[in-house]
Amino acid sequence: MKLKFHWRLLQGGETQGVTRATGAGLRATGLPDLKPQIEFCRQAEESGITGLLTDIGAAKPDPIVLAAGLGLATERIEFIVAYRSGLTLPTTFVQQLNTLSALLNGRLSLNIVAGHSPLEQRSYGDYLGHQERYARTEEFLAICRAFWRNDGPVNFDGSYYRIEDGTLNTPFISPQRSFPELFIAGGSDEARNLAISQGTLWMRLVDTPENLKMRIAPVLAANKEVGLRMSIIARGTREESWRAAERLVEGLDASSRDAEKEKRFMLKSDSVSIRETYALAENEWLNPWLWTGAVRTHGAPAVALVGSYDEVAQALIDYASIGVTQFILSGWPKLDEMILFGREVLPRVRKLETALHSHGLHNAGNAANARTPRTHA
Amino acid sequence: MSSVGEKWRGAKSRAVQSGIPDLEAHVEFCRCAEAFEIDSVLTAFGFHRADPIVLASALGMLATKIKFMIAVRSGLCSPALFVQQVNTLSALTNGRVCLNVVGGHTPNEQRGYGDFLAHDDRYTRTDEFLTVCRAFWEGNGPVNFKGVHYHIENGRLNTPFIASGRTAPEIFLGGSSAQALQLAVRHAHCLWTLPRRPEELAIRIQGVLDSEKEVGILVSMIARPSHAEALSAAQAMLVEIGNRARKTHQDFSRVSDSVAFTSTLALAEQSSSDWVTDYLWAGAVPYLGAPAIALVGSYDEVADGIIEFTKVGITQFLFLGWPDVPEMTRFSEEVRPRVLTRYNAGPDISQEARLDEKAEANRL
Repeated sequence: MKLKFHWRLLQGGETQGVTRATGAGLRATGLPDLKPQIEFCRQAEESGITGLLTDIGAAKPDPIVLAAGLGLATERIEFIVAYRSGLTLPTTFVQQLNTLSALLNGRLSLNIVAGHSPLEQRSYGDYLGHQERYARTEEFLAICRAFWRNDGPVNFDGSYYRIEDGTLNTPFISPQRSFPELFIAGGSDEARNLAISQGTLWMRLVDTPENLKMRIAPVLAANKEVGLRMSIIARGTREESWRAAERLVEGLDASSRDAEKEKRFMLKSDSVSIRETYALAENEWLNPWLWTGAVRTHGAPAVALVGSYDEVAQALIDYASIGVTQFILSGWPKLDEMILFGREVLPRVRKLETALHSHGLHNAGNAANARTPRTHA
Repeated sequence: MSSVGEKWRGAKSRAVQSGIPDLEAHVEFCRCAEAFEIDSVLTAFGFHRADPIVLASALGMLATKIKFMIAVRSGLCSPALFVQQVNTLSALTNGRVCLNVVGGHTPNEQRGYGDFLAHDDRYTRTDEFLTVCRAFWEGNGPVNFKGVHYHIENGRLNTPFIASGRTAPEIFLGGSSAQALQLAVRHAHCLWTLPRRPEELAIRIQGVLDSEKEVGILVSMIARPSHAEALSAAQAMLVEIGNRARKTHQDFSRVSDSVAFTSTLALAEQSSSDWVTDYLWAGAVPYLGAPAIALVGSYDEVADGIIEFTKVGITQFLFLGWPDVPEMTRFSEEVRPRVLTRYNAGPDISQEARLDEKAEANRL
């Protein structure tokens, strides 16, 4: 299977250098910013990106409505719509997604999250704890899948939902699929189990290949895919990539206002993976390419592969060789990093990928080569 | 607009209607409505249709002037999420969105969504739903609400409702029951109701008008150059759709708990004549459902019929046609100028004051 690379959609108010952490006001992130966002979508299409992650949260526009608007202005790019259970009934949700699929000819997949902040969930009227949210999401997706099987009225009687003779006349429309790809995002055992039972893919935050290998084994054994959420800082040389990484956090030391904001966010969160990633960030380098230096200022998904084009391409292949098949990436500057990735990294990945497949998964170049860890001065 | 492409709206049972949106046909319809200076188009809600918010989001990118009236029922999603979706849509369309809030008309359909409340409870919940939505739109800090159906703690959204001159969408509340009327008075800008004889309607809507809310009617239309042509168009339609459609609506009526729908069907089934007034024809209702109650006649007669309604205080109209585009064309070219002439000539000063509103308020 060819590796799939996705990117995170540019948010309202974000420009090349400005991220949520470094200045885009919350009010700006709440507004769709159509012109730059459409341009970003088109650039993603040019750069060989498959899909764009469209976030959900009280600070952001609704991702389904936004994807409908952006989808009408683009041709090929897919939208990875993030959603949580507990905001809407599954029948309504399937009806909205199916309508979106009909309008975009199936250019969408789902990134199901359980919600990471109890406070934010309460603001939507949802008072369940972490484990119960997963139990509810399990039921939610079971109902969604029953609608997508399209084999008669849907009946369901669970702890959280009860549906009687549910019928929808708008099917999921796609040239290839009868239902969307279902990414289940989260680092906890609950998330992993949910990916196995209801998902098509487990999407989690990056770690080293060694640490991930055991964690993802049950998912692969269940014939489900594994995807990683991470950032990329790839430049012509290794030194340039380090300088870019340093520039990113310059003036944003861990005691800055932004870091405080991220810390407060983390403390309010009951997400396992966000907490784990903050713990990982105690080490600035997890291996010679995996850098956590931006986590405290830019949030958990800022764990980044840092290196030359060749190094980053090889590091991605290292993940492919343990069975990872999809990636949701982001980078800084927002647009340029994606352009560089498409122009420089992706062709290298494709070449290595061909070699990987012709040599078999486990023989291909793994991390045990001549690259030396960086000693951080 | 939601029945674009269907010649006889309502003739087929809901279960066999296609829910796949025909984007091209919808866009053409929107552009046509824009050309005829129609104010807004209704995107209806039902299990047999595409989702109205998502559909409007797409159409709003392609049609640049028309406003979308989104049908919404409470009980299908969190009010906070609903506000977030509507606000996002407003930002995409520069405020070209208003709401048609309905209570839901069929318990069977509601159960398919996971909603098991009865008619009166649905109205109580809609009351809470709109209270929460309006609190978000008022924008006075975090929203806190604790009711029977919803409990919101420190609700905050970063996507405001975007429109020039408004901070919240106009709310049209649909229904004919006592609960619907009360709800309109509490939350809406305008009550949508089904037509009756104007004298009868006047009594029903008095309380709503007294509270300085508008009242609009949802009515179908068959307007032709002469009375005889209109009648033969109406008769030809009934012959073509036949009795199968009639059974569809008898079946529907048995499972619906909507006061507006069932009382209109009963009115049509029980009356000795198909004519409620000289211009208002209920002959198609048993075949095509309650919204098929229609203004039928020559262009002059239909204009007179509309004027009769304006005299009892109706200021907005949501028209349906068979099919929509030709009827919209006849309305805009023939009927509307006659309505405006009569309206301007009217002796009643208070009506004159409402002229602008009326001119913008022809909804199809």
